[in-house]
Amino acid sequence: MMVLLLSALVSLILIVFGAVCSLKDLRLSLAASILALIIVLVSSITTQLFPYVLLVVAIGILTVFSMSIRENQISGVDYSLVALIALITAYIAYTNDISFILAAFVIASVPTYALVFVSTDGAKPHVDVALKYIVFMVLATVLFIIGTLFLAYSNSSGNTMLYTLGFVMLILGLGMEVGCAPMHEWVPDVFSAADPLPLSVVASITKIVPFVAAYKIILLTALPQLSKLTIFVAFIAVISMFTGNIGALTAKETGRILAYSTVANMGYVIATLAIVTSKNYLYLAFAGALLQLIVNAFGKASFFASIKTNGCSRPLMYLLALSFIGLPPLMGFWSKFFILTSLVGAGLIWLAFLLIVNSAISIPYYLRIARNLAGETFPGKVTAIALISSVAMLITVLPPNWFVSLAKAFFGGV
Amino acid sequence: MNWELIFLFISPVLCSLPIAFFWVKEPGSERARKLPLLSVFGLFISFVIAIHILLKYPDGTYTIPWLPEYNINFVFIFDYLSKYMGALTAFIAFMIGIYGLEYMKHDYRLGWYWFFFNMFTASMLLVVYSDNLLMLLIGWEGLGLASWGLIGHWFRDDDELAYVGIIGRKIGPLKMYWPPSYGGWRAISTIRVGDMPMFFAVAAIYALTGNLNISQIHWGMLFSKIGAAGTVFLMLCFLMGPFTKSAQLPFSEWLMTAMTGPTTVSALLHSATMVAAGTYLFIRMSWYIHPWALHSVPGVAVLYFFVMLLGLISAFYGALVAIGCLERKVLLAASTMSSLGLMFGCAAASYWFGKLALVIAFWYLLTHAFAKATLFLVAGHLIHATHTRFCCGDLSLAKKMKTGLVATIIATVALGGLPPLTAYWVKAGMDGVMHHLVEMVGSTPLYLLILTSLLYSAFLAKFLSLNFWKGCKCSSLHLHEERLMPFAYACVVSMVFLLLYKILSGTDPLVEKHLLEFGLEKDSLMVGLGVTATYLFALVVPRISVLSPIGTFLGDRMYLPALNDFIVPSIGWAISKLIEYTHKAIDWFCHFGLPDFMLSISRRIRSIQVGYLRVYMKIALAFVMLTIFVSMMGWL
Repeated sequence: MMVLLLSALVSLILIVFGAVCSLKDLRLSLAASILALIIVLVSSITTQLFPYVLLVVAIGILTVFSMSIRENQISGVDYSLVALIALITAYIAYTNDISFILAAFVIASVPTYALVFVSTDGAKPHVDVALKYIVFMVLATVLFIIGTLFLAYSNSSGNTMLYTLGFVMLILGLGMEVGCAPMHEWVPDVFSAADPLPLSVVASITKIVPFVAAYKIILLTALPQLSKLTIFVAFIAVISMFTGNIGALTAKETGRILAYSTVANMGYVIATLAIVTSKNYLYLAFAGALLQLIVNAFGKASFFASIKTNGCSRPLMYLLALSFIGLPPLMGFWSKFFILTSLVGAGLIWLAFLLIVNSAISIPYYLRIARNLAGETFPGKVTAIALISSVAMLITVLPPNWFVSLAKAFFGGV
Repeated sequence: MNWELIFLFISPVLCSLPIAFFWVKEPGSERARKLPLLSVFGLFISFVIAIHILLKYPDGTYTIPWLPEYNINFVFIFDYLSKYMGALTAFIAFMIGIYGLEYMKHDYRLGWYWFFFNMFTASMLLVVYSDNLLMLLIGWEGLGLASWGLIGHWFRDDDELAYVGIIGRKIGPLKMYWPPSYGGWRAISTIRVGDMPMFFAVAAIYALTGNLNISQIHWGMLFSKIGAAGTVFLMLCFLMGPFTKSAQLPFSEWLMTAMTGPTTVSALLHSATMVAAGTYLFIRMSWYIHPWALHSVPGVAVLYFFVMLLGLISAFYGALVAIGCLERKVLLAASTMSSLGLMFGCAAASYWFGKLALVIAFWYLLTHAFAKATLFLVAGHLIHATHTRFCCGDLSLAKKMKTGLVATIIATVALGGLPPLTAYWVKAGMDGVMHHLVEMVGSTPLYLLILTSLLYSAFLAKFLSLNFWKGCKCSSLHLHEERLMPFAYACVVSMVFLLLYKILSGTDPLVEKHLLEFGLEKDSLMVGLGVTATYLFALVVPRISVLSPIGTFLGDRMYLPALNDFIVPSIGWAISKLIEYTHKAIDWFCHFGLPDFMLSISRRIRSIQVGYLRVYMKIALAFVMLTIFVSMMGWL
């Protein structure tokens, strides 16, 4: 515990130092951010959650690199902001304290406000897009926090009416934050108009914290009332899946397809919250959700970085697309497999069926993404990012049973 | 390993391979035209072995392991039935082989012909000697395949002599003439209809008993296990194979148009082998089912009654058609169908009468095989000589074809049931069987049998009369000093005397003196006299012009061709139309329906992306407010 706190402190200082260094030398900023993340990794080496931290730090470093592909108005500071998000994504796994969870939720979200503004090559900042994004994010954060407070209060007082209100607001906040339909309006606009490099952060690593936070809060404040409310989550999940997948079918810009793909993926993930009351399948469901988020983070980071350079290595693009489709033994298969197994096990067979239908609908547009982005293989940061992501997709060639036990460790607390 | 048995089946096929391959290389060459001798030699080997089996082998089974872990093996059975039947098959095949050497001398496709001819013989021998149903099926399918090859042998459809029916004649939508290629197709397609349920029945028998050896299966237990409905269903599925192969109603059409094949083929397939395989299998099954001991098992009575009635009705139908036929071979084909019906009827009566009924049916099979093969071979010789398929010929022809005349007289008299020749005793046995049944199932079977017998002798006499005595004068005769052909049918017809000797001497272990006793009864003698009278009448008056409209109707097989050529194809066309429309619907759905639907939804989903934050906020806030409102209402 002490080690974690100390290393967190050191990492934060390094991150701040890196931000300051950007005035002098960008390379120093980059080094400081990466070092901070490595310290996070080293500090957790003895804990059960190490594989999770490893994956998060890997995504964090990838996205930091992705920001460094082109310089922008706040180069140097952006590395630190991304590192901060990655740090908080890693550490939220260790806590069961509601105030800390809420703080983590805010910390993981706010840096992206600044990132969405930036543009490269001396262009004007994307104010219009950023405004849309920020308005939605603020509303989402407010809903989420108020919802959490209601839940926490009603848990101690036993007020079921307030509990219902809190749960609904929490889910609405969560949905708005990550881009679930029907509150997804900002996603296609932002993903197609903003600069692809910050999007490789916004669309990937920032999606993890809200879900982990929501899971933890819901489990910490659970009342018997909860089992009646989960149908609402399933409702949101179904709308989100269909909106995302069908919307993506006719989208032409790669960024816009990815936007709808995000909406659909968030639908898959939020579907697991519908069985949060099932004791036997909760951990499997959470493992599936987390794995799906990680697949999404690796894939989206690589795709958006590739958009910036107008394409990337053909085999890597196809491999990532196939992982999104869910082809065994890639990681994207296992995440969907876990989700489906838990849904079927917990009795929501209709939801599992709709999920499979949606997976089938998604095949054409993922292949279209891969075809749009497929190009020559050339050495460079983008290829490196895509290569590391692809390797990550391949680590599940052996069935990832370890990931399910990892998911259990999430709720032990430190 | 019993090499003799292996050679029994393999030697015909092996000996036909040289001509099959050599003909491809040098079709029609002088050297190739000598190779059929080798094929006939292969048939001779089989014949010698079959005779050896008949005389020397002890009764019992001989097993060669095949799939021993599944209890499926090559099991050969040597009993009363298979020994006689094997010798009969091998003898007739050998004799027809000799006949074919001359008959097919100038043919354009000898490789094809001899390969399928010998393969057919081997398949038939396999059917005859196998106890295992799966092994039997191999032979059974070999019969089907070879029959298709042989019936459609003259595939060019360019020889008027090879057709059935008057070319160009039409009745409504029906073309009443059939070329060889269509004849082959009709044969194989009809037989397949029966084989499919038969396969499933064999599979079901294996699944239910774990055994496929006819002589070992405990049929009584099997039938009790599956109940009355199960028994009838299972056995009818199984008997679909024999029914189609033996051309029982309504599957008789293929047999009539099978006459498009060379006459040797008609003689081999439609006297002793292929069509007889169905009745043989039914007799063999009943031999071991012991239906007479299963009166307590429900369903068996219904089954056997149905088979008997179907057989007798088919026999009656076949006899009527033969009465109306003017084509030599088609007349004989219809009479074959009639005989097969009688065999089924008599064999099925074993349920009430006991094993002797099976023996009588089997003896009728033997008698019919020799006599009918002779008639077919003579018919072939006549077609060769007169160059027409239709009955014609007078005393001048008879003088030139003395062997043919004598053979025909013997065969018709012996097969027609005129006392005191072979078929009289056998038919007297049948009369006795049906008479015995009057108390139990009524007198219909007996009347059907007697009527059929009368008609039978009438059309045989008509065949004799129209071809050698009272037929129209043949415009041109082409007698080429044939030697092998008369030799072959003389040998075959002489066999009816051997059978007669066996009956009269009472030396056969199962027939003993039974047939003699039946034949000496008053009723049988009455029927015999009636048969003789009709025979003589028909001999003198082969055609009655007043009745010719009825004759045409009968000769058109009572329009049964409509079933094969119009009704079934119409159903097929309807199904294919339905499938075509279904295809179109599926295509439309996949190419237009679903994509257009998805496209419109996708556009609608994307249409809310107008780019204005105020619109987005309105939507999002409206949803938030709505949800909170509904949750507060207690919906959630």
